[in-house]
Amino acid sequence: MVNDYFQFLDYGGTLYYYLFEFANFSFLGLLALYTYKIGLINLNSLIVWLAIFFTPLVFNYLLFSPYLFGDQFLYSGEAFLLKTNGQSLYQMNHIDFASKILGSIPLPNFMTVTSLAFSNKLLLFLTFLWFKRYFDDENKILLFFLVPSLLLYSSLALRETLIIIFSILFLISMIKNKYLLALIFLYPIYVLKLQMFAFLSLYFVAKVIFRAHKSNKHAAFFVLSALVGSFILESEILTVVNQFRIGFAAENFRVDGGGTSYAAWNLYGDDIAQALQILTIQEAIIKSIINLPQILLLPMPWNWTSLFHAFQTIESIFLVCLFVYISIKNKNYKNNEFILLSIVLLLSLMLLGLVMANEGTFVRYRFTLFYPFLLAALYIFRNKTNFSKF
Amino acid sequence: MNILKKINLKQKLALTKSYVKEYFLVKKSIVAVGVAMVLSLLIIQITVPKFYVSAVLREAKPLETQGISIGGAPDGLFSDILGVAGSDGNYEEMISNMRSYIVAQRLWDKGWGSIVFGNGQIDEDYFNNIPKNHKLLDRLGSWILGYQLYEYYSAHDLKAFISDSVFPRKDIRDTNITVSMLSSDKEFAIKFIEAVILETDSYAKEYLIAKSNEIISASYKQLAVSKNSSISSALASTINSEYFKIATLNNDMPYKVYFIDPPHSSEYPVTPNIYAIFISAIIISLFLSSLHSFILKNKDEIW
Repeated sequence: MVNDYFQFLDYGGTLYYYLFEFANFSFLGLLALYTYKIGLINLNSLIVWLAIFFTPLVFNYLLFSPYLFGDQFLYSGEAFLLKTNGQSLYQMNHIDFASKILGSIPLPNFMTVTSLAFSNKLLLFLTFLWFKRYFDDENKILLFFLVPSLLLYSSLALRETLIIIFSILFLISMIKNKYLLALIFLYPIYVLKLQMFAFLSLYFVAKVIFRAHKSNKHAAFFVLSALVGSFILESEILTVVNQFRIGFAAENFRVDGGGTSYAAWNLYGDDIAQALQILTIQEAIIKSIINLPQILLLPMPWNWTSLFHAFQTIESIFLVCLFVYISIKNKNYKNNEFILLSIVLLLSLMLLGLVMANEGTFVRYRFTLFYPFLLAALYIFRNKTNFSKF
Repeated sequence: MNILKKINLKQKLALTKSYVKEYFLVKKSIVAVGVAMVLSLLIIQITVPKFYVSAVLREAKPLETQGISIGGAPDGLFSDILGVAGSDGNYEEMISNMRSYIVAQRLWDKGWGSIVFGNGQIDEDYFNNIPKNHKLLDRLGSWILGYQLYEYYSAHDLKAFISDSVFPRKDIRDTNITVSMLSSDKEFAIKFIEAVILETDSYAKEYLIAKSNEIISASYKQLAVSKNSSISSALASTINSEYFKIATLNNDMPYKVYFIDPPHSSEYPVTPNIYAIFISAIIISLFLSSLHSFILKNKDEIW
């Protein structure tokens, strides 16, 4: 019911909230039952996906306040505004774009902040249906969709799931040498997250222009060219890197007087900005190598403030071990496609480590980057890697 | 054709039909939908319909006052680069004042406490003695732990009521402020929102007038003992500036904000959303009955 103009009613954790969102869960549940009935998924998948579909009801309001991930209200507000009267608050930026996609998913209710999380879940389920076709054993793939961070981010009204899905689609298309299709998938990533676009573009250039997936020599030539290129374009690269370093530091900035973020940075951030500046490419390389283990294992134990952080660190270690396991199993590390994938992942992680500031945010960024590469590695060695001994 | 063969549309269609027959067109599902409809009706019946009452405000431009600029970094250096809205002094001050005890106290003195918590009688003896009906659990807690519960409603309760029910909102990059509340009594809500906004603005104005008066009084004292001509001149300038402020504030015009749209109510109640409740209940009942049928049919495999 539309009353003269848009109003976002925050149902909070009331009976209505659970009624409307349980209806969304039920709709997805019926869909899961249907896919089982027509033989698209097996019984294990059905049970697991019913549980996965239920998770949005567990996180927001029940386990933590939705304001912990306050951006959810931006995406929800934008989606509801677009659905109600077609007006956009943000015009063609990532919030508007993500809200348009998530808001277009046919769900029974878009009533609360959690509704878009169910859109995320449905998209993730469709990705699972598509991805598992390449594998003999559906159950093993199912395990990769049970990674806790994926469960968390897809249970919130955020853009992370969309970025992960488009990145997976891009990487698999690239591995299958479908470059035009890959380019199409690169566009939404450009709108949704510029950093991710830069990282994946690196892969595109390496494969299409340098043919770095053909042999080790090609890969080495690509790395060398990237290094030489970075020296030639030193000032341009450093300007962008420094801008991001300062931007992220400013976002995370706090002063004792209670000032936070950009407002406080505008007053007190000048001296710190000077200290954050990277002056040479050599310095950038050294810093990124030093920060690499940290970005891989975020959040670090000395920054843990809750059990949740410890859990995230364990998950980080597990995912890194899984990637290493995939690479050493059957000497997969000798595969040129995998070598290129690993090089791009490593370079991307180094770049991410270079601009790292707020741990909470970067745990999210790291996962969004790492997970699609993990699935891409799995795809390369589909039906070759046995996880029973892992 | 090849793709169609691969998908095997005919078989999928047959399976879909069988799915609908097996799970939806059975007595259990129809009964479940019936029960869901009855429950929905019950929920709708016990829910009090609430109207959306809102007012749109615009921030009044700040007065240009004489004084010495203390400088500072340019506003929104990173806000501009990263598209983040900058700080919003007027709006934040308005929220602080709106949710302050002082504004609640002023509204209380005008009898709003009686309208919200009592029978609306504007009599000081009455509205200062409206008894509180504490919940049984609260009474039990106070008895066990040995503390006293407040006997009567006060301006603190009105302050909590304002914080919980009146919501100011200013969207990113928007210039207008929307103040809204949900209420079953739209006449009350319209008057209450208006009173809260006007009282908040009036308090901001009176606070500044009182502040200017204090500055003038202190400046006069300093002027009387000052022997330095440049200090005397600066003090005189300050006094002039503060008198100018008082002159511009001492009127009935709005100060921080003014109404673009006066408070008005939605035509229909926005909650409960009857259609959404019925549709949700039907979907939930279909799912639960289907799940039950599925578990019964596959219990050996599941366990």
